[in-house]
Amino acid sequence: MSMSRSKRDRSIPRRPLLWLAAALLFTLPPMFRSLAIWVPCLFLLALAMKFWMEPRGYRLRFAIFKLMLAAVAVLIIFASYNSLKGIEPAVSLLVVLISLKVLEAHTAREFQVMVLMGWVICLCGFFLSQDFAAALCLLSAFALLLVALIQFHRAASPGALWPPLRTACKLLAQAAPLIVLLFVLFPRIGTGFRFEFRDLRAAGTGFSDRLSPGSIASLANSSDIAFRAEFPGSNTRPIGPMYWRGAVMWHCDGMEWRVPYAPASISRAPNQSPSGITIQQRITLAPHGARWMFALDRPFETPQGAMLVRGDYIRSVQPIRKTRRYEVVSSPEVTRNDLTPYERKEALELPASISPAVRELAQSWVAQNSNSRAIINSALQFFRTQGFRYSLSPGEYKKDDLEQFLFHRRVGFCEHYAASFGTLMRLAGIPARVVVGYLGGEYNDLGDFFLVRQADTHAWCEVWLPESGWTRVDPTNIVAPGRASLDLNSFLEGRIASGQMEPRRSAFLARLARSAIFTNIRLAWETLNYQWDTRLLGFDADVQDVFLSSIGIANHGPYFLIVEVLAIAVVMLVIYFGWMQLRTRSRVNPVKVLYERFCRKIARLGAQRHPWEGPSDFSMRAAQLLPHESERIQQISNTYISLRYAPEPDAIMLDTFAKEVSAFGR
Amino acid sequence: MTNQVDAFTKQICEVIVGKNQAVKLAVACLLARGHLLIEDIPGVGKTTLSQALARSLALAFQRIQFTSDLLPADILGNSIFDRSKQRFVFHRGPLFSQVVLIDEVNRATAKTQSALLEAMEEYRISIDGVTYELPEPFFVIATQNPQHAVGTFPLPESQLDRFLMRIELGVPDRASERAMLLGMDRREMLKELKPVISPRTLVEIQDSVRKVHASPALLDYLQDLLDASRQRHSTGLSPRAGLVLLHASQAWALMHGRDMVLPEDIQAVGIAVMAHRLGHDIEQPGRSGRTLADNLLHSVPVP
Repeated sequence: MSMSRSKRDRSIPRRPLLWLAAALLFTLPPMFRSLAIWVPCLFLLALAMKFWMEPRGYRLRFAIFKLMLAAVAVLIIFASYNSLKGIEPAVSLLVVLISLKVLEAHTAREFQVMVLMGWVICLCGFFLSQDFAAALCLLSAFALLLVALIQFHRAASPGALWPPLRTACKLLAQAAPLIVLLFVLFPRIGTGFRFEFRDLRAAGTGFSDRLSPGSIASLANSSDIAFRAEFPGSNTRPIGPMYWRGAVMWHCDGMEWRVPYAPASISRAPNQSPSGITIQQRITLAPHGARWMFALDRPFETPQGAMLVRGDYIRSVQPIRKTRRYEVVSSPEVTRNDLTPYERKEALELPASISPAVRELAQSWVAQNSNSRAIINSALQFFRTQGFRYSLSPGEYKKDDLEQFLFHRRVGFCEHYAASFGTLMRLAGIPARVVVGYLGGEYNDLGDFFLVRQADTHAWCEVWLPESGWTRVDPTNIVAPGRASLDLNSFLEGRIASGQMEPRRSAFLARLARSAIFTNIRLAWETLNYQWDTRLLGFDADVQDVFLSSIGIANHGPYFLIVEVLAIAVVMLVIYFGWMQLRTRSRVNPVKVLYERFCRKIARLGAQRHPWEGPSDFSMRAAQLLPHESERIQQISNTYISLRYAPEPDAIMLDTFAKEVSAFGR
Repeated sequence: MTNQVDAFTKQICEVIVGKNQAVKLAVACLLARGHLLIEDIPGVGKTTLSQALARSLALAFQRIQFTSDLLPADILGNSIFDRSKQRFVFHRGPLFSQVVLIDEVNRATAKTQSALLEAMEEYRISIDGVTYELPEPFFVIATQNPQHAVGTFPLPESQLDRFLMRIELGVPDRASERAMLLGMDRREMLKELKPVISPRTLVEIQDSVRKVHASPALLDYLQDLLDASRQRHSTGLSPRAGLVLLHASQAWALMHGRDMVLPEDIQAVGIAVMAHRLGHDIEQPGRSGRTLADNLLHSVPVP
């Protein structure tokens, strides 16, 4: 009783508390990125307070006060998210309550509760973010929590730092095979279970169905990853610039273009299969919450769960809420040779608000030239010669500012050029549409893949020519030559280096970013991320099916799999115990093994040796119990005694002993 | 060597009738260079046993009766001013002997009891800053009445640990008692005892006891016993207890003419060596050390 009392009242030792705090710090980065900023701040504050309070014996004591704090926390969470439903408010609530618990905890039991809650936070961290960096943080947190718990149980003697760490590492290493096994075999929750992991930021900052002035320029500084592409079979790498087709915009509104609300699905007729080069791509698309999917200009085979829509681009059937991996085949030569009257009408539609000056410009080209190609060349000539500049910050344009752009300011980014060029073409009577997608991508030679960022978002034009169908025209390329063959960052670096643009960041940072070692580290990190996304996160139910059938385990549903997992676990345990048995047995000396055999034999005859009985005592007792065998028993026992206890046992005696024992009882 | 020990044991057994096991343990204790504690009621032959040991070895013998007013100086000795020489002269106390019988050791106060400590462990006595070596061999036999007797000071644990063995003589069985009643007066018998082993031979035998082989298998068993005692009892056996248990077993093996120790040797001396060291378990006050030691020997398997 007195023991338990003293245990209850003691404060938590400093060392395990430090480990716990370190672990909880590692759970913070995913929170900072997605929760309301005050939540992780409160958590940090609570941890700091704990270190101040614990040595002084202060803690949250009064139940009413605690309840009030909790209620206030719930209210503030409701105020910051306008809801208590969803992942973020729920995780926030949990984090706030854990902060309060940290301030309250003071017994051994509560320390263990804190560690368990730490593990729950680790789990929640994966709800918030599943990328590689977050996973590393959370793994560290997980391991440190283990260390904290181990250290806590050694509290009486803090000792060196290393032993608890080593124990934790050992535990994790022992768990590793099980983790791998479960990762590979555990049934994945299928699509039947709707669970939105997080609110997707990409919906706001990424690609949208509307191309308005400034919408792409705002992405130019984003380092978020749009997708990564591999070309299985390295000989099929595209030679020219890589235009990743995302969506085709038909609706023109001056400087603003828009995708049709419900793009119509088309099916490719068999006779239109491409004759020339085909490029196979394996694309790992970051989740963006919409249905955009990307492929090189132009896709003709759609992956599963996607459709080819009018305008020759692919679109997912379901919104993409988690990393999606798909293979798609494109061919630069795919064209559609017919333009239906409806499409022609749609591709020539113009808003009424276009100013006369602009109309006049387009009409002048029509008057000067006889055919469409010449008109296009005149237009490109106009952009080339009239002092247009390429800029990331061209200033603000409204959707009716076409005239302003073409005749006065003449500064723009790709979307300005694509939009205005498309509008001008329509004014000149040439069917035109705007295509948005990505241009280029950074090649990572470590992982052999292309990384395409949000910053690489691009817009270009397609015009209808009777002889060649829809033909790509990229007016940006006229204004900023070289952009097409590079990703945006490399392109900008080049321009800054040649003095054509103002540097965006300090020269030192720019030089550091370009240095070989930094570049290599960045490439390696991106490769790791890519592997994480494709190998681990991409290992979903479908991949699992394929994998399991490839190693010969047919998938018979989740229950069968669970049974399989259990069976494998049992087999592994049996192997482990068998191995342990073997290991301990091999250490036992052969004399003892033989003697045990002798004991078993003599036990069958009716003289059971007690485990604590010495060999001499036993031989005497056994000889009395089995008078007709007494001589042999005495002899064997004497041999055993001299083998096992004598100063220098004879090696030859072992052989005779073995013979005696095996002869005994026959 | 074994023959001499046998003869020695036999001679003592003639005086102390029907107590062969106790006598053999006492001899083993002597050979292992340990001190002996006999715990029993008066009149069962404790003094006779110790005198028989001393006489058969031709060793100097002293007997000290412990009482509650006995002072350390009474057993160690005193410095007394010698008028003729005009200086202090140290007069050696009764402890300066070879076989010392301390009667009723638990009647003296802790102060006097602890004066015994240094003598028993270090084989020397320090007094007034001068250290006097005790003669070799030096063997303390202490007797004590059972603890429940009134007016006793239980021996502190540190001192109990210094006795290699604690044995009980007990009343003899009927036949032995009859033999004793019919036989000669014990005092007469003691006077007629002839030394069987010279002090020099005794030291030789004591030396060869330490050379009796203890194989790894046996040390495993010994350590298993120690570990088990430490796991089961709040105060398990100390490392010194393990060491003296080994010495006692070696002596026992030598007495039985073997050059190696067997688990049986440990078991034979085990209770005598372990009982008084385990007897102070606070968590299990109801169980005597003897029972605990017995349980230990009957549960730890021989490897």
